Amino acid sequence: MPDWLVKNQPYSPPPDKDQFINKSILSILRILSKLKSQSGYQMDKFQVNAALKVAFTFLLVILLSLSTSYTFILVVDVYLLVVLSLMEGKEIVKILSVSLAMAIFTFMILLPNVVLGNTYTSMMITLKVLSTLIAVNILSHSTRWHSITSALRRFGVPNIFILVLDITIKYISMLGDFSLNMLYSLKLRSVGRNNNKYASMAGISGTMFIKSKEMAEDMYAAMECRGFTGEYTVHNKWKWSMADLLYILKTVAIITAFLYWGRI
Amino acid sequence: MIDLKEVSYSYEGTIALKNINLHIEKGEAVALLGANGTGKSTLLKLLNGLLSPNQGVYRFNHQEITPKKLKDPIFSKKFHQKIGFVFQNSDTQLFCPDVYDEIAFGPRQMGMNESEVAKRVNDCLDLLGIQSFKHRQPYHLSGGEKRKVAIACVLALNPEVLILDEPMNGLDPRTQRWLVDFLATLNQAGKTVITSTHNLDLVQELSKRAILFDESHGIAADLPTETLLEKIDLLKRVNLVDESYPFH
Repeated sequence: MPDWLVKNQPYSPPPDKDQFINKSILSILRILSKLKSQSGYQMDKFQVNAALKVAFTFLLVILLSLSTSYTFILVVDVYLLVVLSLMEGKEIVKILSVSLAMAIFTFMILLPNVVLGNTYTSMMITLKVLSTLIAVNILSHSTRWHSITSALRRFGVPNIFILVLDITIKYISMLGDFSLNMLYSLKLRSVGRNNNKYASMAGISGTMFIKSKEMAEDMYAAMECRGFTGEYTVHNKWKWSMADLLYILKTVAIITAFLYWGRI
Repeated sequence: MIDLKEVSYSYEGTIALKNINLHIEKGEAVALLGANGTGKSTLLKLLNGLLSPNQGVYRFNHQEITPKKLKDPIFSKKFHQKIGFVFQNSDTQLFCPDVYDEIAFGPRQMGMNESEVAKRVNDCLDLLGIQSFKHRQPYHLSGGEKRKVAIACVLALNPEVLILDEPMNGLDPRTQRWLVDFLATLNQAGKTVITSTHNLDLVQELSKRAILFDESHGIAADLPTETLLEKIDLLKRVNLVDESYPFH
């Protein structure tokens, strides 16, 4: 046992700027917590089939883009706010903050247009952006990503594309966990001044690359062992429920509103 | 040295630790036992300051460890130098181009000159018996070799406390035996060693004191290891062993 190891280490760390490790840890934690919240019980709580939700959101985005009626957009906004109010407080804050930030950004870009007198058009575009973002965010927060990718099968998206999407989501989570632990390790071992911070980050990136390559190879080998020959079938069990019927009725109401106010 | 009072922690509403009261003296060797998901790894992260308790107090060397204090870079670095953490997956701990640089990472940061760094790295390489691959890339090493390099990296900082998260996982019996002996040597040299493990065959040699976690994420027993291992009903109740234990 070397002498230095049995003695206490008198040590005073020199000052250094290393906020980047903490910031990187926080940003990965945010992504991971978002992915983990996807497995929560609250997801799919309205019990509406994901394919219907995806189709309706797509349709709503198209109707919002086509509409020239201020009333229709306000009606859609009211509907979206009602749906939003049924969600959890944290989700409401997340959805509204993202959507409002983008809407404000759009409005600022359109500000010269407002100054020139085109207030109505500018407000319309801003409201359309806000409504579209709220609708898409509601879909993303109330439906599991796996359900969304499976629903894509209904719209003719090739199975292999769905497989790639599913695996991507899985790998973001797994490699995210791995990179988080690497950053934790870097943080714990960064006990002094590091003049080559970016070299450490490059080392982490390199290790991540090797790890992801190994994981991909292992997964392909495991898939082959389980009989994978390049064909991937997504199984969708469609079961009608009362919630689905109500959802369709609501969709019909929105289309009717579009046609009715579209004429005005 | 380490003092936890009524510490609780939860991940977004999921309880991971509940009302933990724990005191560990300097120079002790302690094993954390428990079924998967009982909170052992969370406790180790908490002891390292990677997580902060939602409730309760964590004191290290009579100083309360709070998120606010850990935000102070000087305090945080001093604290992390005193507590070394060996991760369960050694891959996550190794990010330098070769083993020498990997072990030298900490001492260089501590402001040592290159000759001091070289001495410390070589001492660590000798201590762990890994001198032969000091210029190899860490990601090309075997699981046992990576674990030795990870331990060397942490030892190079000369921490007062060494925390190991399931260090026996993925190691062959010979390397497991070597690791147990090595940790005992470090403990005899005055280091505080805290280990989480599932290995009931080696735990008695690893530590004199064992802390058992139950599925309610609390401490079910804090006893001398020998006594705890005799309480077979308790081990069964916390789902650490099944009916076939003790194995014959």
